[in-house]
Amino acid sequence: MSKRKDYQFSKPAPGMEGKVFWTSLEAKADPVAYQERAKAEFVDGVSGSDTVSSESLRMKRRTFVGIAGAAGALLGLEGCIRRPEDKILPFTRQPEYVLPGISLHYATTARIAGDSIGLLVETHEGRPTKVEGNPNHPTSLGATDGYAQAAVLDLYDPDRSRFPASVKDKAFTDSTFAEVDKGLTAIADAAAKNGGAKLRVLVQSSSSPTFARVEKAFLAKYPQAKVYTYEPISALNTKLGLQQAFGISAEPAYSFRRARTVLALDSDFLGSEPGSVRNAREFADGRRLGSPRDSMSRLYVVEPGFTSTGASADNRLRLAARDVGSYLKALAAELGVGLTDSEGANFESLRSGVTGAKAPAGVPESWIKAVAKELLAAKGQSLIVVGSRQPAAVHALAFALNHALGNVGRTLVFTPSVDGAKAVGPLDEITALAGELQAGAVDTLVILGGNPALDAPANLKFAELIGKAATKVHFSSYRDETSHLVDLHVPRAHDFESWGDHRSFEGSISIQQPLIAPLHGGRSDIEVLAKLAGIEWWRGYPLVRTTFREAFGAGSFEALWKSALHLGVARELTVAPIGSVSLDGAAVGDAIKQIADAKTALGASNLEVNFVPDPGLYDGRHANNPWMLEVPHPLSCVTWDNAAYVSPNTAKELGIANYDLITVKDASGATVDIVTWVLPGQAEHTITLNLGWGRTVAGRYGNGAGFNVYPLRSAAAFGFGDGFSVSKTGGRYPVSVTQETHSMEGRPIAIDTTLEEYRKNPDFAEFRSPTLSTLPLWQEVEYKGHRWGMAIDLSACTGCNSCLIACQAENNVASVGKEQVARGRDMFWLRLDRYFVGTDESNPQIAFQPVGCQHCEEAPCENVCPVNATAHSPEGLNDMAYNRCIGTRYCMNNCPYKVRRFNFLDFTGQVPETRRMQYNPNVSVRMRGVMEKCSYCVQRIQEAKITARREQRQLRDGDVKVACQTACASGCITFGDLNDPNSKVAKAVKLDRQYSLLPDLGVQPRTSFLAKIRNPNPEIQG
Amino acid sequence: MSDLDPIKAIGEERLLPAETTTKSITDMVSRVTETKAPLGWWIVFLSAAACAGLLGIAIGYLAWTGIGTWGNNSPVAWAWDITNFVWWIGIGHAGTLISAVLFLFRQKWRTSINRFAEAMTIFAVICALIFPGIHVGRLWHAYYMLPIPNQMGIWPNFKSPLIWDVFAVNTYFLVSLLFWFTGLIPDFATLRDRATNKVRKTVYGVFAFGWRGSNRHWRNYERAYLILAAISTPLVLSVHSVVSFDFATSVMPGWHTTIFPPYFVAGAVFSGFAMVMTLLLICRTVFGLQKLVNMNHLELMNKIMLTTGTLVGYAYAMEFFIAWYSGNDYEVYVFVNRATGPYWWAYWSMITCNVISPQLFWSKKLRTSIPVMFVVSIFINIGMWFERFVIIVTSLHRDFLPSSWGNYSPTIVDISIYIGSLGLFFTLFMLFIRWMPMIAMAEVKGVLPNAQPHHAHADEDHGHAPAALPSPAE
Repeated sequence: MSKRKDYQFSKPAPGMEGKVFWTSLEAKADPVAYQERAKAEFVDGVSGSDTVSSESLRMKRRTFVGIAGAAGALLGLEGCIRRPEDKILPFTRQPEYVLPGISLHYATTARIAGDSIGLLVETHEGRPTKVEGNPNHPTSLGATDGYAQAAVLDLYDPDRSRFPASVKDKAFTDSTFAEVDKGLTAIADAAAKNGGAKLRVLVQSSSSPTFARVEKAFLAKYPQAKVYTYEPISALNTKLGLQQAFGISAEPAYSFRRARTVLALDSDFLGSEPGSVRNAREFADGRRLGSPRDSMSRLYVVEPGFTSTGASADNRLRLAARDVGSYLKALAAELGVGLTDSEGANFESLRSGVTGAKAPAGVPESWIKAVAKELLAAKGQSLIVVGSRQPAAVHALAFALNHALGNVGRTLVFTPSVDGAKAVGPLDEITALAGELQAGAVDTLVILGGNPALDAPANLKFAELIGKAATKVHFSSYRDETSHLVDLHVPRAHDFESWGDHRSFEGSISIQQPLIAPLHGGRSDIEVLAKLAGIEWWRGYPLVRTTFREAFGAGSFEALWKSALHLGVARELTVAPIGSVSLDGAAVGDAIKQIADAKTALGASNLEVNFVPDPGLYDGRHANNPWMLEVPHPLSCVTWDNAAYVSPNTAKELGIANYDLITVKDASGATVDIVTWVLPGQAEHTITLNLGWGRTVAGRYGNGAGFNVYPLRSAAAFGFGDGFSVSKTGGRYPVSVTQETHSMEGRPIAIDTTLEEYRKNPDFAEFRSPTLSTLPLWQEVEYKGHRWGMAIDLSACTGCNSCLIACQAENNVASVGKEQVARGRDMFWLRLDRYFVGTDESNPQIAFQPVGCQHCEEAPCENVCPVNATAHSPEGLNDMAYNRCIGTRYCMNNCPYKVRRFNFLDFTGQVPETRRMQYNPNVSVRMRGVMEKCSYCVQRIQEAKITARREQRQLRDGDVKVACQTACASGCITFGDLNDPNSKVAKAVKLDRQYSLLPDLGVQPRTSFLAKIRNPNPEIQG
Repeated sequence: MSDLDPIKAIGEERLLPAETTTKSITDMVSRVTETKAPLGWWIVFLSAAACAGLLGIAIGYLAWTGIGTWGNNSPVAWAWDITNFVWWIGIGHAGTLISAVLFLFRQKWRTSINRFAEAMTIFAVICALIFPGIHVGRLWHAYYMLPIPNQMGIWPNFKSPLIWDVFAVNTYFLVSLLFWFTGLIPDFATLRDRATNKVRKTVYGVFAFGWRGSNRHWRNYERAYLILAAISTPLVLSVHSVVSFDFATSVMPGWHTTIFPPYFVAGAVFSGFAMVMTLLLICRTVFGLQKLVNMNHLELMNKIMLTTGTLVGYAYAMEFFIAWYSGNDYEVYVFVNRATGPYWWAYWSMITCNVISPQLFWSKKLRTSIPVMFVVSIFINIGMWFERFVIIVTSLHRDFLPSSWGNYSPTIVDISIYIGSLGLFFTLFMLFIRWMPMIAMAEVKGVLPNAQPHHAHADEDHGHAPAALPSPAE
């Protein structure tokens, strides 16, 4: 504030001298003194009144203005309707880098779906809001899966445990971390006395070097103690098979890009298996077609129930999971004819083991002969992958075959495991722990993460055994089933809240960098174990730094540490794959012997049940995540529930139909009631059950959603098992699906063809979709600047749903709940249409088609809006002005693609405060009564344009990446400026298999599709 | 009357019984408003008012909670709301048609029913106007549809048929209201003159606009009436044509059809006559107006229903034909789906009610039977509701991409609002027949033989101004 000038008292005007002008009696009585005083009024810093003598009562002018202003502001606040009830304080100093409105990305990594994945997390003013893949990280290559996308919502889950608690009779009494520390010290003290003889720690599987280091320190301190690992969905069978085949403790990493022929045996390598994001990218790269001359790989899938991988198959064989081993044996026998020992493989023992092996009943001859022929033809460029559920012996045989086919080192490599420990079976350790608990050998049980009371094999009755330990502690993000059975529950920090590190299957080591301080307190696994191990600096940060200091060496540590944090991967530490392996023929021979042909035939009273990770909830850990609950199962489109998936014929045979409640019973008599859902493509006499549902203490969203199938999952049928029977309960159960019609009704929608056909007729897609029959209604607009457009390659889409969740996260899309989904009011801006293709009702092919707003040039929605709430932007986007929308829903009616979403109810008002922290501040949260839809991520376009302008440069291709595009692991979505002839999207729309959806309407959609090309082996029938 | 009946002599039928006099007409009609309401009136009025109250509650709940309280969903964004809107607008058509078009065509039999039909039009349009208002998601912003200058500088989208609708329906409402009120003025004056207490005298006096029945008054009145009739006539065609544009200009198969404007107008007249018939038959019996509204009138109305019903049936058939002839798969599918899909029952209810039931009127015996025509008129009311339901819901629920197909089922709020709108309609109607001359006395008097200049007794009346309305164009 500039200072005011002293007032200059001017002399009286000529002729006016005689007159006395006075302003007050004081002034008249003693004008000189008065003027002096008046002058003093404006002296800086003094308010001038002599009458206020007390120093304390004197008020500086500025203070007065300040207080008056503050009082005025308070009065103003008083008048506001929304009064902030919490005390807020401004930043006195701006935190480094934080600029309001500008997002920051931090590299981190998280353990997701059995493997770790490198991530970049977007934060706004310190709040993580959106997960992106880390392009520098080999497990991600810039993409993510749905689980990673949803992790950010788990962070803000309002039902996460907020306080430590002592638990008695399933009742929680909140306590403090001081109490926790006391408890941990007591455990440590007690254990110190006997070397931890009766101390057992149960952890989730870990790939963390720091964890391995801390575990070592822990075991060094308590030599008698044991650390057991249990994971309800584990890749240990693979590791075990690898160990059998080659005698190494390692993990496999695949290169699908190089594989010309892939045989997936009950393996969802594009979906739920470790490394699926990288696999999907590589697999798609191996079959990306720029022209009919390009080559593409061929994928054979043998599986019991549809997975993303099966849906992407060129040839798919429905086969019960228990017969997969026999199939592989028969295939090995066929391969044996053509294989030699040349590749250094000791193949003779293998050959003798499989000679005479017969394919399981119902497998067509061609599925052995033709597949074998092709694998032999593609030596060194083929790959046999086996799902983690399959027994180790099948893996061993598959690795042996891969070795014999010369694939090792080419399409698959092995990286030594983190701890170098000998592989054990997935149930060995939990069974051992259960035995010890039963025997009373465990005094203190510390459970670090996981929920064994729910997900341990049913036959162990683990929930009952927990009580056998005198002291039981559970570290968990939620007060879940296990927490109810322990004495002390401690909140576990989210991955985005704590320090850690991970090693991925393919060997990259990366740091898990926290994005935010723990919202509700909480500790990480390594911190707890370190505290127990008596490590003085037990906090995550020093622990992880110590690990990396040791790894990097002290000299260049700081620089390398910073670069590792910055990049999200410590490239210097990447573990090199094992150079060469030699086949342990005898062990493989033993393994082959373990693969026994099924003795009993499957039938209506002897059904096989398959337990698979849920595409949404995984093993139940995302059970309170509304995104994951609502994301439709990619094949059945069921939301908010799991179901028993059976084939149409089996359903007929069993006399069950959709919505029927059935009781599934295993040989031991355990039962589970679940709703039936008929899913074409399921192998006959098999049932697929998704894990993780039917939780009772998951939280407000997950409680009671779906059916808990863990009670059926015993050690005998951990991945799958036969001997199950089904009976109708007579009840019916409502199921909400997002898509009710599963056929394209002969319409050219998700267009596909075979490679052969494509080579004959490269522009078949355009040929199949009808030609434009109407002239534009209005004068066509010429777009001089940018012309945004999208191309979606249907060839690469695996139906993994990560784009849906990414879109939901980016655009604050509401979850609406089961009832509203049933009413057809889901809000997905981008939906994944799934059609069954082919005439065989029980064995169809799948066509996926992501459909968001097509941004039509002649948008039919725009014409009909009475209030101009939806209009075209100068760059050709079909924009929505939410403030203007009154919700006539006419646009929704007139949208031929039905991509517009209406807020039928107040879907956002009830969202808890914590979840609101996830909202993207650059996207309006829509109120009820307003229409919304895909905006081509207009906020990202604007952000990129602002950045380019600030950097005084032209916008480059790739500056704008929309949310679905970045999430897509297989890279099917291309977005960019169609006016830029060199942009990827402009090139994509020029491909001959380009077509647009419903072109005959003349609405001229901006989004293009690239027709799906399948590459089936013509020698194989079905 | 004398044996030399001039009406008979020129080969025409009497529109009213021979003994009808100007006084008996005045007495018959005015009596209803002057005597105590019969018990039946109270029963109907109170139950209708209760339903109207239900409408208020349902709308309040809707406004508070959102459109989600209805069954509307993603493929079926419009359902009962617009069905009801179009249904009510359709019903509102008979009024204008009877008043204006038949007036211009000198169909004098209309005089007995026109007031009634006009009132029904006004009330039906009021009911119809509720729906566009409440069906929007943010009804507090519904005024955005009006061209009000605003600081945002945004006008309504004049390309949108919904805006055309706003203008068409409002115009129709205003013109119908003026037309109705103009016709009421001489009758209000009659009621005023007969009034025995001050309140009646004042109130009817205000509405009578100082009518004294002078020659000049009659002249101006007739001019105004004629002009309004001429303005209204195109509206009969335009309103429902514009309403049909809501559908016809869209891209949806089953909606995108050029046949819609004439088809909708025919349907509207059809449903309007049916509703007039239903109400007329009830009031005629309850208030003993058989002499003024006689079988002749009813039969003529039935003939119109037969005609329009057959037109509508033709349109139904033509839709199928064109769908097939166009070779457009989507179009074919929509129509096959209408007849055989999940809503087949709605389609066949529509066909039964709208196409088959009016065919009974080919028989003279049936079209002059009061019970038959009552039942058929109810059938047509139902059938025409189903017609709109079929057009809206079955077209939307399965459109282009099978992935987005869905179904629709109404909720309790949908049903309450529909029943409530009927309640509102009958509440207004009950108030109308209780407090207003429900038959246009002045006009009916105009069709009495002694209103004609060459009537046998013309000599006696010579020198007096005609007691009632002469032929409109003089």
